[in-house]
Amino acid sequence: MNEYTLLILLLLISLLWFYFGNKTALSLKNKQLKLNSLPHYYGIYVALYSIIPSLFSYLLILVFDGILFSNLIMEFVPKEILNSPDFNKIIVLAQIDNAVRGIYFGEQPDWVTIASNQMIEWNNQSLILNFFCSISLALGIGYLGFKNIHQEFRSRNSVEKIIISLLGLSSIIAILTTIGIVFSVIFESLRFFAIIPASEFLFGLTWNPQFEGAERAGSGQEGLASYGSVPLFVGTFLISLIALCVSVPIGLFSAVYLSEYANKKERSIFKPLLEILAGIPTVVYGFFAALTVAPLMRNGGSLIGLDVASESALAAGFVMGIMIIPFISSLSDDVINAVPQSLRDAGYGLGSTKNEVITNVIIPAALPGIIASIILAVSRAIGETMIVVMAAGLAANLSFNPLDAVTTVTAQIVTILVGDQEFESAKTLSAFALALTLIVITLILNFYALHVVKKYREQYE
Amino acid sequence: MVSNSNINNVKTKTIGEIFSKDPKIICRNVDVFYGEKQAIKDVSIDIASREIISFIGPSGCGKSTFLRCLNRMNDTIDTCKVKGSISLDKEDIYDEKIDVVTLRAKIGMVFQKPNPFPKSIYENVAYGPKIHGLSSSKEELDFIVENSLKDSGLWEEVKDRLQSPGTGLSGGQQQRLCIARAIAVSPEIILMDEPCSALDPIATAKIEELINQLGKNYSIVIVTHSMQQAARISQRTAYFHLGELIEVGETKKIFTMPKDKQTEAYISGRIG
Repeated sequence: MNEYTLLILLLLISLLWFYFGNKTALSLKNKQLKLNSLPHYYGIYVALYSIIPSLFSYLLILVFDGILFSNLIMEFVPKEILNSPDFNKIIVLAQIDNAVRGIYFGEQPDWVTIASNQMIEWNNQSLILNFFCSISLALGIGYLGFKNIHQEFRSRNSVEKIIISLLGLSSIIAILTTIGIVFSVIFESLRFFAIIPASEFLFGLTWNPQFEGAERAGSGQEGLASYGSVPLFVGTFLISLIALCVSVPIGLFSAVYLSEYANKKERSIFKPLLEILAGIPTVVYGFFAALTVAPLMRNGGSLIGLDVASESALAAGFVMGIMIIPFISSLSDDVINAVPQSLRDAGYGLGSTKNEVITNVIIPAALPGIIASIILAVSRAIGETMIVVMAAGLAANLSFNPLDAVTTVTAQIVTILVGDQEFESAKTLSAFALALTLIVITLILNFYALHVVKKYREQYE
Repeated sequence: MVSNSNINNVKTKTIGEIFSKDPKIICRNVDVFYGEKQAIKDVSIDIASREIISFIGPSGCGKSTFLRCLNRMNDTIDTCKVKGSISLDKEDIYDEKIDVVTLRAKIGMVFQKPNPFPKSIYENVAYGPKIHGLSSSKEELDFIVENSLKDSGLWEEVKDRLQSPGTGLSGGQQQRLCIARAIAVSPEIILMDEPCSALDPIATAKIEELINQLGKNYSIVIVTHSMQQAARISQRTAYFHLGELIEVGETKKIFTMPKDKQTEAYISGRIG
């Protein structure tokens, strides 16, 4: 007897209700009564009517019991542990939880065994309660729904309403998740800004996060830690700029070629091939950049007397540019195709060559859409992590030279949060502040892109 | 070059007078195919200098297709093939030596739906002169734009807002802007593909008046669905049916005494 049995039981009950609902509706129909809806709608209606409240009550009891038990169990924790300065409720609960699952680390204190036994008992009682509540709800409310069935009952409309609320619920979950992400980042960032002033973070020119523990242990130099994010943002924008220099011309030109010059056959070959680029995992681009492009650039640079770092912004930016080509080419292609044929005709009718029509008529008319596609590509480039981690290095140099090693915001977030970290330290928290700033910047870019797209819609309609 | 001896010696089923004394465009035995489908069958006709000729006929009869052959706009459609000969000033326009870009500068076109560029009014008219290098200075360009707008009767309405977008004008004004844009490159012939079909009666009247004015300086070929319009503005009328040119003649004669039964049926409203 466990949770899965319960869920399967609930499903079976709703299936049964579907069968009964359907059967009743069919028998009404066989009596030559004109039903409002098709018979299976009555079945679906009763099934949904029984399963939704019972699932809801199941989840509610599960969550509520979890909270209740974790508070009640504190009774079993000895006073000296509760009052000690190192007391952490989460750790104590995890200890008990592990005992419940039968995972032990060394000798178990007596109170943990008692508490875990108590917990197991409560859990069993809760499960029985849950069984009883959910199944009686599934049967009872299902029966109420079943009683609703009569000739004039509009089960189609009722099913419609239930479906609409399910759809609404799904979209609310997506929105709530976004809000949750933003808030979790905001709260951690606020903790960071309590330690490091925002002005230092936003305008400081040196990025050198250090664990306080490292200083204490003597391995870090005193006062070395500094959290000026400017080098990171400069690095991010430098790499994004290089990526754009690669992707905008190539993407735009291939969009023009695809939409204006290529015939149907060429288009059907080239467009999917180009879009394959978007399907390559970024980590693959990362080692392409680190193992192929970066050495190539270093060797090529040394041939013409340039000193290219083995991990350079140029290599990362170049490969990132290739990665975002399909974003620009695919969107621009759609936008260019959306330019009405009548404008092309007007251009040709005045004696323009194809190239003149493209540069003087089509590109200007499609420009807002093209800009929007570029902005979307930029936000993609700014958020890109893997290529930078692998190819651009982690040295937070404040440099505008594309041949130097630089680092980006996302690459720093990764290095800060990977591995063991002390959660209260400024170093760890700085990752959240970086993320928040990045979210704000990409959000502004996206809003701007949407605004441009909106403006574009009013252009020639 | 099409030799002079045989241009007026052509077999045709068309009734009426396909020849003219001072031909600008000479079409002989023109067939047009869209893939396998034949859209125009053996059409021969002359278009004279400074005449207004209208093409009428039921929908799908090929009159617009034929019109678009005259400045090779059909080139943009891959499946379209043109056979026979069409010559402008006795030069075959489908000859390989012909530069289609210059050809279209000589034969302007106005479309069914007003299609101004999403640029300013000034830029719309200046577009053609700019790409063909018709002006050497800003003043000259201003002069061309002003004159074209005056010729199209739009100058008084837009002279204070030349920099506002052409798409912001009313439908009739947009169509006159498109006419101004077409005459700014000083073409010799203007093709009009149902230029008034998207316009209200008042705008239509203005465009018709404009066409009458322009007819003094240009040859105008106009495709129209409105027989009244053909009767009002054109000197000659050609009736197309199912890709064939059935009858050509003076507008008055076509509308009062059509020789062909099909023409008569269309004009009296029995088909179409």
